[in-house]
Formats: sequence, structure tokens, C-alpha cells
Amino acid sequence: MAILAAAQPAHRRSLRNASELLVALTLRDLRLRYQGSLFGWGWTLVRPLALGVVLYFALGKVLGAGIESYPAFLLTGLFPWFWFQGSVQAAAGSFVGNGGLLKKVRFPRAVLPLSAVLGNTLQFVLALPVLVVFLAVAGHPPALLWVFAPVIFLVQFLLTAGIALFVASVTVFFRDLEHIVEVLLTFVFYGTPILYSASLIPPRFDWLVWVNPLAPIMESWRDVLLYGRWPEPGLGVAAVAALVAIALGWVTFRKLEDDFADAV
Amino acid sequence: MTSPMRSEAPVAAEDAALRVVEVSKRYRLAGHAPQELKTVLLHPRASWRAWRQARSSFWAVRNVSFEVARGEFFSIIGANGSGKSTLLRLLAGLSRPTSGRIERYGRISTLLELGSGFHPQATGRENVIINGLLWGMTRREIEARLPDIVAFAGLQEFIDQPMRTYSSGMYVRLGFAIAAFLDPEILLVDEVLAVGDAKFQEKCYDHIESLRRRGVTIVMVSHDLAAVERFSTRVALMERGQFVAVGQPHDIVGLHLERLAATSPEIRRALEEGIVKRIRESPEALREFEQKLAEKRAAEAEARKE
Repeated sequence: MAILAAAQPAHRRSLRNASELLVALTLRDLRLRYQGSLFGWGWTLVRPLALGVVLYFALGKVLGAGIESYPAFLLTGLFPWFWFQGSVQAAAGSFVGNGGLLKKVRFPRAVLPLSAVLGNTLQFVLALPVLVVFLAVAGHPPALLWVFAPVIFLVQFLLTAGIALFVASVTVFFRDLEHIVEVLLTFVFYGTPILYSASLIPPRFDWLVWVNPLAPIMESWRDVLLYGRWPEPGLGVAAVAALVAIALGWVTFRKLEDDFADAV
Repeated sequence: MTSPMRSEAPVAAEDAALRVVEVSKRYRLAGHAPQELKTVLLHPRASWRAWRQARSSFWAVRNVSFEVARGEFFSIIGANGSGKSTLLRLLAGLSRPTSGRIERYGRISTLLELGSGFHPQATGRENVIINGLLWGMTRREIEARLPDIVAFAGLQEFIDQPMRTYSSGMYVRLGFAIAAFLDPEILLVDEVLAVGDAKFQEKCYDHIESLRRRGVTIVMVSHDLAAVERFSTRVALMERGQFVAVGQPHDIVGLHLERLAATSPEIRRALEEGIVKRIRESPEALREFEQKLAEKRAAEAEARKE
């Protein structure tokens, strides 16, 4: 379909509109989620902290993971993981759950999954100070090489956004994907070096780390925040994977979006 | 700007607001909804049959071509299921034509439903901003119009309350108020104006009339034949996905009623009894007839099957 719209609706204007919509939706959803609850965004912290406590006892004390300062180790992995998991899960149903809107209003549709990602990103960022304090108390004060944290952050953000766009778009036409993703996330959680370090993986399972771009990301978070050293070279591979993911997610979304209104 | 058009006169390129060229839309029938993996695995034969059936399709819009000039008020009428609303969704770019193309010259706003995207937990103010953004305004534009929007809806005291506390009337009023301040070049309107009480409808039509005076191009789909006759500069009659006729409002509305009469003795009798005037004035009466017509057709189809 040729849309020979006159040049008037300048691209800058629509880009501005899209970004303002993205921010407004994100803030509204965050505010509504915690509105009326006494503890507010504190609940955002509870999930990773609670899981951290459980795992610390189960793996650290009972089974003996053999990792130094295991609580700090766990939390450095759990916080980024919850960011990833929460984003993908919330994005998956974002088109299907807004079917009415997609049928009635023409707006930049990518804002729906992206605002799910952005909301979780904000929660992650707001939780970071807690992690920093925890690390400092546990004997890992901020170090010079923390300057790499924004790089890791960017890589994980792009990877997450790409996967979110892809999953949300395909779910419109293949509803099972939302549930498949839920199951897959469990596998990925245990298959990614979050509870353990990649060096503990037996050699015959090495491929697990190689096919999973989240693995070098998690390792890098700990390299930088926990050990104050350079992120591992695998982060470069993850960066390439993130770019591929965002490209794939965008292309898939663009290819499918014109049929959303007929399919939801 | 608002010169009434003769039906077949081509629109000069620089005056066109919309150009629709041989547009068709096909929908898959039953089984259109994607199948669950579970169904496919457990009932492969049934699912195969459903898939085969889904291959059968119907044309909601078939080979429609027309042009709308800048500043025109173009209405599309027709019985339920004739493809009017599908056509409007195609014009809006909400759904993609199976074939053909649509050219749009100007900023389009689409009023298919008032208050789409309102969140009941959020305040009226927050919903106005998000709704305006959804319609394509920038934040600055919305904030500049916010006082006017609130005043137009008459919700000054309630604007900072969550919308779940609003009555349905307040809901619709706010929805329309936002739409009223959109400032479109081309406005596509579906049955939305059929909501609310008579007084509110009158306010809506007044507003649309003022938009038209400002040179806004309007394309409306409606059952309200009285309003169609009153406001349109040109009307198209749709039947089974095709344009049957395009022309002056009075002629086309008359043609529509005649053709309805030809298909049903009830409507024929009604016309003879002079109820045509009532139909022209009341969308409800027309809906009743259409309802009867649909029932009759269904009964006939049933009889043919047996």
C-alpha cells in the first residue's frame, strides 16, 4: 500500500510524539502499579532480595556453591536477571492485551512492548542504589572500572528490547508463544551463570554459554561490579547479538504490524 | 473549498484529500483465529478441516475506487455488514487492503470510538494527555489545549479524579472533547456520534459542522440517514462490499431506502404507508428494518439448505 502522505507530518514531530507517548505510558503504568500500596516501589526490591535469601541458604549454605561472598554474587546476577525476565514477560502480551486500542487508534505501536521494557528498566535503575550499598557493605566498594557498567547496561537493554519486540509481535499470530516464552525463561534462568559462575560449568556444557548472549552479560556485571576488573571479552559477542536482536525484532515488528488489527 | 461534487468528476490532483484505487479487503471466515498448538496436536483431523474451512474467505470490500476532495463531507451508508466500517478502517490505515492502494494527502484523525485507551485508574488529566499522544499530538500541544478540553467536557471539578469515578456520560464527554481539539486535516468518523443523548449528539454535529466550515475533509460512516442528508456534500451507498452509487445526499439516501424496499415486503409496505419519512429521521427505525431483513435472509438461506 502506497502511503503518499504529504510531507507535512514531519518525521521529527512523529518521533517526538512517539517518545512522549512511550514515556507517558511507562510512567502511568509504574505509578498505577504501586499506587495505593504502602510499600510502593519497595516491592520491586522484594522479589530479587527474597529469591536471593532463599538461594543463599539453599545453594550457599546447604549445598555449598563454593563461591566467595555468595550473597553479593547472587544479587549482582539476580537484579539484571529480573530486569530481563520482567521486560520480556510484560512485553509478550502487550499487543494482544491492547487489541481494542490497536483496532481503533493509529499510533506508533512499538511503544506498547517498549514501554513494558522501559518500565522494567526504570525499576532496575531505581533498585541499583540498593545493590551498590549492599555491595559496599559486603566489601565491594565502587571501583574505577565501574565505568563499564553503562556499556553492559546498554548491551542488555538492546538485547531485551529486541527480544521483547519480536516476542510481542509474533505472539499476536501465534498465541502459544507467550506461554512458551514463560517456560523458556525458566530454562534460561538456570542455564545462565546467575546462581553459579561460568567457570564452574563442566566443559561438555560449554556450548550453553556460547549460545546464550545473556551469559557473558551476567559474567560482565560481576566482573565489573563485584571484582572491579575489565568485563570479559564475551561482552563483545553479546553486543553483536544485541544488535542482531534489535534488528530482528524491529524487522519482524514492521513486517507484522499492519496485520495486528485484523489478528488481535 | 466546500464545492459540492458531481459524482463522476475526477478530483484534480492538488485538491484530493483521499484517493482510493481498486481497494479490496478479504477476510478469512471461520477459523480465522489462530489455532492453539494443543488443538493441532490432539485433534489433527479436526484442525485440518478447520484450516481448510479457513481457506474459504469473503470479500468485505471489493474493488472500491473513489476520491474525496479537500473540504468535502463524504458519507458512506449501507446495511449492516455491507463493508462500510471495514472501508473506514482501511482508510485510517488500521488494516491493510488485500489489494489496491489508498493515497492520503493530509493529517488524518480517526474517530472510531470515543475514549479508546482510557485507563479507569488514571486521572482524567492523565488520560487526556495519553489519549492526545495516542492521537498523534505532542505533549506541548495537549497541555496548551487542556483547559479548553476540560471546559468543553464540563469536567473542571473532576479532572484530577480517577476516571473510574466518572459516569458513562462524563466518560464520553471527555472522549469527545479530546477528539474535538485534535485539529485534523482529514477526519474519519464511524458511528461514534450515535452515543449519548440527543443534546450531546447535537453538540457533536455542531462541532463537526464547524470543522467542515474550516475546510476539514470529513468521511463519515453512519446509519443516521437524517444526519447524512443534512451534512454531507456527497454520499456513497455500499452493498456487499461494493459501491452501488455515489451522488447527491438526497438521491442516494432515497436509492438506499428503495433498494431496501425491493428486498423486503415489510419495508415496501412501510414505504407505501409513508413511513419512509420516519426512517429518514430515525436511525432506530431503520435498524429495526435491517434487523428484520437480516432475519429474513437468514431464514431464506436456511430454507435453501434444507
